[in-house]
Amino acid sequence: MASAQLTDEELFSELKRLGVTPGPVTENTRPVYLKKLKKLREEHQEQQRGARQSKPQSKTRSAALNNNSASPSGARPAGSRPARPGRKSTVLGFSSDESDAEVPQKRKGLNHGARAGKGSGLAPSPNTRHFPQISSAFASFNDAGNARKSGGGGGGNPAPASPRSASLSWGSRAKSTAAEEDEANNGESGEEDDCDAGHGHLKARSLNGSRTSHVGAVKAKQTGEYSDSEDDEAVAAHQEPPRRVGHRGSYVFKEVKASGPDMIPLRRDELELGPRRRDPISAAKPPGHYNFSSRIYSENHGSDADTNNHVPGREAQDGGVYSYASSGLRPRYTVHSSASSQTHRGNHSNHSTPSNHSPRAPAPRRPGPEDELLQQFKREGETSASGRVSAHYLSMFLLSAACLFFLTLGLVYLRMSASDRDVTIRSHPFGSKFDESYNETERNLILDLLLSLHNHLALVAGDFDCGNQNLSRSLSLEETTVYLQMHNEKFEGFFMVSLEWILKTAQDVGIRLTGAEAQEPLSDVSEVLRLESTHPRMPFSCRFRRAFFTVIFKVLLIAAVVGGAWGVVSYVKLRWRREEEETRRMYDMVERIIDVLRSHSEACQENQELQPYLPIPHVRDSLVQPQDRTMMKNVWDRAVKFLSSNESRIRTETQRMGGADFLVWRWIQPSLGDKSSLASSKVWQGKAFPLDRRNSPPNSLTPCLKIRNMFDPVMEVGENWDLAIHEAILEKCSDNNGIVHIAVDKNSREGCVYVKCLSAEHSGKAFKALHGSWFDGKLVTVKYLRLDRYHQRFPQAQNCSAPLCPSAEPLYSATTSCS
Amino acid sequence: MSSTSQKHKNFVAEPMADKAVNALAGIGDVLGQRLEDKGFDKAYVVLGQFLVLKKDEELFHDWLKDACGANAKQQKDCSSCLKEWCDAFL
Repeated sequence: MASAQLTDEELFSELKRLGVTPGPVTENTRPVYLKKLKKLREEHQEQQRGARQSKPQSKTRSAALNNNSASPSGARPAGSRPARPGRKSTVLGFSSDESDAEVPQKRKGLNHGARAGKGSGLAPSPNTRHFPQISSAFASFNDAGNARKSGGGGGGNPAPASPRSASLSWGSRAKSTAAEEDEANNGESGEEDDCDAGHGHLKARSLNGSRTSHVGAVKAKQTGEYSDSEDDEAVAAHQEPPRRVGHRGSYVFKEVKASGPDMIPLRRDELELGPRRRDPISAAKPPGHYNFSSRIYSENHGSDADTNNHVPGREAQDGGVYSYASSGLRPRYTVHSSASSQTHRGNHSNHSTPSNHSPRAPAPRRPGPEDELLQQFKREGETSASGRVSAHYLSMFLLSAACLFFLTLGLVYLRMSASDRDVTIRSHPFGSKFDESYNETERNLILDLLLSLHNHLALVAGDFDCGNQNLSRSLSLEETTVYLQMHNEKFEGFFMVSLEWILKTAQDVGIRLTGAEAQEPLSDVSEVLRLESTHPRMPFSCRFRRAFFTVIFKVLLIAAVVGGAWGVVSYVKLRWRREEEETRRMYDMVERIIDVLRSHSEACQENQELQPYLPIPHVRDSLVQPQDRTMMKNVWDRAVKFLSSNESRIRTETQRMGGADFLVWRWIQPSLGDKSSLASSKVWQGKAFPLDRRNSPPNSLTPCLKIRNMFDPVMEVGENWDLAIHEAILEKCSDNNGIVHIAVDKNSREGCVYVKCLSAEHSGKAFKALHGSWFDGKLVTVKYLRLDRYHQRFPQAQNCSAPLCPSAEPLYSATTSCS
Repeated sequence: MSSTSQKHKNFVAEPMADKAVNALAGIGDVLGQRLEDKGFDKAYVVLGQFLVLKKDEELFHDWLKDACGANAKQQKDCSSCLKEWCDAFL
């Protein structure tokens, strides 16, 4: 394939064969197209290498299939579709050719047919028909982008490797998102090559096809039909699948981002071609109008006579495919973007392994394509739901484990604090002297006595604490003696001794001995009157309740403290804000007074008859609306005070006017030259240059505008200058009722204002009105913004649809008459 | 619009008439000279080439690289300039 030898026409046709729609090959475009041809050929080589081992029959089949599939793939490059009507004939011509020698040509032809033939590709030879076609069809559907590499690999070889590669190619095809048409074309051509390669193609293709058509109820149906094929009764069944396949194809396309609508007509074409194709196909009389997959399968049956060896493989594949189709294909397909051929490989292997035909036969008629889609979604939902469920369970489990842990901890704590139940006092706090004084039994006796005494007292105290307030907390000596006697007679003898020991020891043994006066420490046993436990033992519930209440109480306490603090802080903030507001209003008022006075003084200068001063109440009444006077009283008073103390240009005097004494203000500033500074500085001041095509886009591009240089954020004073900007813009564009959102970027150094209009037309008008005008001494420029960026930045503008109107007073278009 | 050059904007704003090939975005003096040497002395001739390549930007990139050695950015600028011009005026 030395490119130098190609003439222009050859180059052209070669490119066309590979799926490119070249422009005219002239001396200028020649090198470009040569490069492109080289690229395409390389890709084909790769594909062919992979497909080399496929059996001839499968090759032909695949070729046929390629043709068939090619047409759908042709649909994919929608643009190229209309460009290649002629392919059909070539494809048709190939359909009945089964020789290997012609396979390459057929392949090419198939490719062409596939590409061009939106519907025409179906006519190819019976052998190559179904699987490769389907697969190639699907491949093309899915995306020829990767097909270039993979399709070639997948196509040709009937060997086990090839199915893998084919699946790979298919998968990759399926996976890749819409590639350019060229690529799609290339992929198709690759596929065609593969088809020629052999059965492997078929296998791969069918698998791929099934995969691609994972929408696949049809597949199942088809498998069922396939098993029943060769019967005319199946024809009716076949009628359905074609339709469905068409739908499927459309679904597949949707997923693959192919041109859905294109596919459907393609399918129809294929459907039409089906019968035609069928006739020459095989004596087995495969039923009529399967669309690709059905055709493939029926073809398989039909081709049984020819390729017995293929059939089992195919069947296995079909079965596997179907099982897969029913199980896992969809999810895979739904994950379009994953370009992992590994998945395909895996799928492929999965497919090839289960050669159970059982799914085929009983495969029920799936409902229509909508249901397929729904099922698809359901499966997705299931998988995701299961994932979610397991995650949910996991989280629940962790939560419950944590709760249990804390519960156990609390219980253990409580139990611990309700402690020493069965502590046998072998270790006692009495010291070694105790041990020496008495022998073993006595010692034990004493200790047991003390223990039982301790327990009893603890119970009593616990009872008392827990609410059973009838008894006293402590036991008197007599009661103790009685109790001890009840327990063990021998105790009594040692009672006093043990009490002595208790007194002697400095530690707390859990029994407190109190005498007549509660607080005094006892020195002698004889003074002991009452015994009390220092470690009361309370029943568990009581303990728990107390603990609970304690905790609650503490929590409430903390919450109260925090709430109090927060309340104080917010109150302080509120006060502060109110102060600010008041001050601002006061200053506002002061400014207005100054304005009034100044204007009055100017008026006085012109008109000598007026008094050069104004009574304060008059000023107030003219500035403040009657209904606001009581509210503003505070503000007014502060303003007056401020003026009298801080304003040097206004003097407060008392004048007699009309017989009454008034406090008046006199403006004592000599006339200023800077009238302009007083006037509102933000005005539109004319246009700098006429707008023509050179400095503005000929057509308005988007409804969003960015206006620059309307203000200087550093220089702006006042609270609501951005509103002034809004007003200015609205006034300038007052004839244009299409402005729906204005945003002033207060922090931008460039003085940017963003405007959104109802439509591009409105924005064009606004553009013409604003661009190049002078505003406040600055030259305003406008440019268009992308709508999505605008919405990103100002999400609230997405819903604005009401045109904004300027406020009544025309303030900013000072130089021009208000439009 | 945000990332196009002034040249681009100027070119796209009006029919190209008899503008020199330098007026294309991405084509400066050197590239313009090279194109002129090859016979593409006016912008409309380059436009013609673009159209002959069926407005395919990639093919046009390849061609431009062959014709005057434009780098990727220049190719892109030129092709998008022409494309936009076509969108506006063709």
